[in-house]
Amino acid sequence: MKRDLAGEAFLESWFEANGWRAFPFQREVWQAYLEGESGLVHSATGSGKTLAAWLGPIAQWMGEGGGSTAPALRVLWITPMRALASDTVLSLERAVEGLGIPWTVGLRTGDTSSGERARQAKRLPSALVTTPESLSLMLSNADGREKLSQLRLVVVDEWHELLGNKRGVMTELGLARLRKWNPKLQVWGLSATLGNIEEALSRLLGCRPADAVAAAGVAGRVVRGVSDKRVIMDTLIPATLDRFPWAGHIGLAMLDDVVEAIESSRSTLVFTNVRSQAEIWYQGLLEAKPEWAGLIGLHHGSLDTDVRKWVEAGLKEGRLKAVVATSSLDLGVDFSPVERVLQIGSPKGVARLLQRAGRSGHAPGQASRITCAPSHALEFVEAAAVRRAALAGRIESREPVDRPLDLLTQHLVTIAVGEGFEAEAMKEEVRGTVAFRDLADAEWQWALDFVTRGGDALKAYPDYQKVVLGEDGWYRVKDAAIAKRHRMSIGTIVSDAAVDIRFRSGKRLGNVEESFIARLAKGDNFIFAGQQLEFIRVENMTAYVRPGKPGSAVIPRWDGGRCPLSGEVSDSIRELLELHVQGREDEPELKAIARLLKLQHSWSRIPRRSEMLVEQVQTREGHHIFMYPFEGRSVHLGLSALLAWRISRHQAGTFSLGFTDYGLELLCRERFELIPLLKGGLLSAENLLEDMLASLNAAELTKRQFREVARVAGLVFQGYPGQPKTNRQVQATSGLIYEVFARWDPDNPLLGQAQKEVLQRQLEFSRLAAGLARMRDAPVLLRQTHKPSPFAFPIMVSRFREKLTTEKLADRVMRMQLEYDKASGVLPEAPGSQLDLL
Amino acid sequence: MTECTVAGETLVLLAEKAMYWPARGALFVADFHLGKAATFRRAGIALPPGTTSENVERLGRAIDRTGAREVIFLGDFLHSADGRAERTLRRFAAWREARKALGLTLVRGNHDLKAGDPPEAWNMRCIEAGERLGTFVLNHEPGEAKRGGYALAGHIHPAVRLSGEGETLRLPCFWFGARCGVLPAFGAFTGSAVVSPRSGDQVFVVAEDHVLKVA
Repeated sequence: MKRDLAGEAFLESWFEANGWRAFPFQREVWQAYLEGESGLVHSATGSGKTLAAWLGPIAQWMGEGGGSTAPALRVLWITPMRALASDTVLSLERAVEGLGIPWTVGLRTGDTSSGERARQAKRLPSALVTTPESLSLMLSNADGREKLSQLRLVVVDEWHELLGNKRGVMTELGLARLRKWNPKLQVWGLSATLGNIEEALSRLLGCRPADAVAAAGVAGRVVRGVSDKRVIMDTLIPATLDRFPWAGHIGLAMLDDVVEAIESSRSTLVFTNVRSQAEIWYQGLLEAKPEWAGLIGLHHGSLDTDVRKWVEAGLKEGRLKAVVATSSLDLGVDFSPVERVLQIGSPKGVARLLQRAGRSGHAPGQASRITCAPSHALEFVEAAAVRRAALAGRIESREPVDRPLDLLTQHLVTIAVGEGFEAEAMKEEVRGTVAFRDLADAEWQWALDFVTRGGDALKAYPDYQKVVLGEDGWYRVKDAAIAKRHRMSIGTIVSDAAVDIRFRSGKRLGNVEESFIARLAKGDNFIFAGQQLEFIRVENMTAYVRPGKPGSAVIPRWDGGRCPLSGEVSDSIRELLELHVQGREDEPELKAIARLLKLQHSWSRIPRRSEMLVEQVQTREGHHIFMYPFEGRSVHLGLSALLAWRISRHQAGTFSLGFTDYGLELLCRERFELIPLLKGGLLSAENLLEDMLASLNAAELTKRQFREVARVAGLVFQGYPGQPKTNRQVQATSGLIYEVFARWDPDNPLLGQAQKEVLQRQLEFSRLAAGLARMRDAPVLLRQTHKPSPFAFPIMVSRFREKLTTEKLADRVMRMQLEYDKASGVLPEAPGSQLDLL
Repeated sequence: MTECTVAGETLVLLAEKAMYWPARGALFVADFHLGKAATFRRAGIALPPGTTSENVERLGRAIDRTGAREVIFLGDFLHSADGRAERTLRRFAAWREARKALGLTLVRGNHDLKAGDPPEAWNMRCIEAGERLGTFVLNHEPGEAKRGGYALAGHIHPAVRLSGEGETLRLPCFWFGARCGVLPAFGAFTGSAVVSPRSGDQVFVVAEDHVLKVA
């Protein structure tokens, strides 16, 4: 393609006039765009990627002659979060104003008002910022083609956030449709740096036949954004570690050090891994520094949008000294005043560490700085290991989802609600995505039958008329009620039944899971949104509260959110421990816990990379076996179940399983000899999948995973506000639907998909198999210890924590903690704060 | 089959999720929800076939095992007007045809009010809640009978949660309080709700082929 230089000259003069210089990577991106190329821009921190993608189409328009009226829709800007969308609109608009061109930028997300939608229906803005779900929704409009076929460019922002889940596949399918309407469509992704950046790009480009690529003369281009930003990564190391807990994840032991760190910076972001931890830390900081009331904020996904917006604005304006946040602040919005990021506990992954670090140091010449505040002793090792992996550039991959049939059925209905489709053409379109490249004919036929007949031809029901084949050979949805319901359930995110929390005056604070509220009685106190609240009553999915009185209060625990250790961090930990044993590391974090490591080594051993350490301990409870693969919680869950199941085939017994990110525990009443079992194939790869499925009540896990599959495939209808009553008759829980399928249609591919998702996502099966192989190849180092070792202790406690709900059990754990501290010669003064008992 | 005594009467609880009253030769069934899967299909939710057949076969089994002369549906026999699919109705009609002599009574429940009465040809006596049958009062929604007698009901699809040995189980149940007894939902495609029995109540869970007393 011949490049028109007029547009570029315009950009260059704009930069010059403002006394700026374009980064070379920005120039590379817009030049490649003007050449007709597609590609992916990645960098660890965000600066400048947005502008790089935005200026290309503007230069193109200038090159075509520009003008004084805004062009109709040319750019679609897909962003993963609604919260980011409005911010993106602002930054795109800022550039447009600066350039003095008449382009308009609009917003289309689930939050967009019907008035704004109506305005957009009349005339679309030059660029539209949207989400994958809203794009899908636009494809379900009858006039989708008319509106969207003039698009020149689709920018997929924060692509790394979408890549690893079904929303990424939804984006791929959407892009395939847009490309069908306009084969010249260009796509640019913006992403954080990933271990599989080429794969990330290929997913955006889709599979084009080789000759088509050759004809277009362009393949995709990977552009690396600026990364001259210095990142400082360190760890808070308290003066004394005598009272530092061996386990738990609240980590308030570091409170004083964190307060000091916050005081030393102008503005600090304090990241926690889970929402309850954020609430606890916010409370902790306010108790330590009452004068900070109004100067520090709290931000997590369950808080009301207004509260979050207030906090975000406070950060941007530099009004807030510190904000305690969860991953809700991982993305988007630049908070320039933030000088430093504190990470409570471990970030668990290299990418997350860098992403969070990048939220600080936006001021010119300033470095990003992230400091870990470990919540228990072994997290010092983790903090050092994550840093080493980051410095070595070992960043995790995001594994994309392969052929999710539930999403395929959703997409087919979406298109059938919109323009409609012809079977063969649609099959090829779907196969044009990388996600469905290997879609088998049988799978395609099943999906088509599923949406047209409700199952295979033999089971056809005349009353089932979701998608109807017309005489013209096109598949369409004709029933208005079905179309409406489908449009309302487009998406892949399963939301828990959430209860709104409001004061009696009506002011909304946010929401929590229904199960938490269900456990509260009138008058109970709980902490939410940084406030102590007294529960009054629940009415219509709203919990009414009033300010509580100081005293005891519980903190809601939200499900999920805690990520297991990534493979890269696992590797790095094993490597670091090896170096430690060899005396070849010099990390301050390991020095800080030297005493504990020494204790571990003298009681048992610090496992070397090539060794498999197994500890056996006898306690009142029975016979414990500990192993340390360092493969993350989900792998250890699978492994412990697998081992217990294989052992119980030789010797009947009941096991209790414990697992953390570092290791696993098998506990049973009777002592058994492990060595013969190990020799007898305990770690064998043979029948691994079968044993795995048999050992974990796989049906139960699959049933849980089926929740998402059923929601995506449209089998369950997620309620929505103001829901008409007529829908009640067709509401059933996914568990019930699962049972119906499992009993009357056990071969349904959706059940198979749920099982595949359990293996891949929940148990990380391939990582588990690799871990098992490593254990098999390593010489076993069997140690009998008289007490659980420092490495074993957190695993042992984690098992209790799962069951810890009453005071009585809590007391029991407290006693354990005391006992062990005595054994190691360390006496805690106040053991009460050391464990997460909530 | 598990026997129990409620309001001085001997009742037999069946794992088929039905209850037999030998003194009257009556079988009680609550929340049959005929046509529920059809309702879903009509709305574009593809469910596999089989639930209706299972329902009528299980009902037949309960009748054959007890020798019941009469079946009393304690409400929500039909799921919805949309669920009156031809195939579903035909399935039940065939079953009815094969058991002509059987007396059928339906105490109209909230679903029946919207779904309408069953086809005339099925020869079912449809009554409003509150009718007295000896010791018992035939209801759909649980609660104390207004003019005395022991109420029998369904509606809430009762289940209880059992826990122990690190495991929890949720099972459908028969729940007999002081003034009212609630039957588990009979329909194969019905959910359940966990109830909180009071001390003194009798609770029997349905665990696959067994009915077991847990309280």
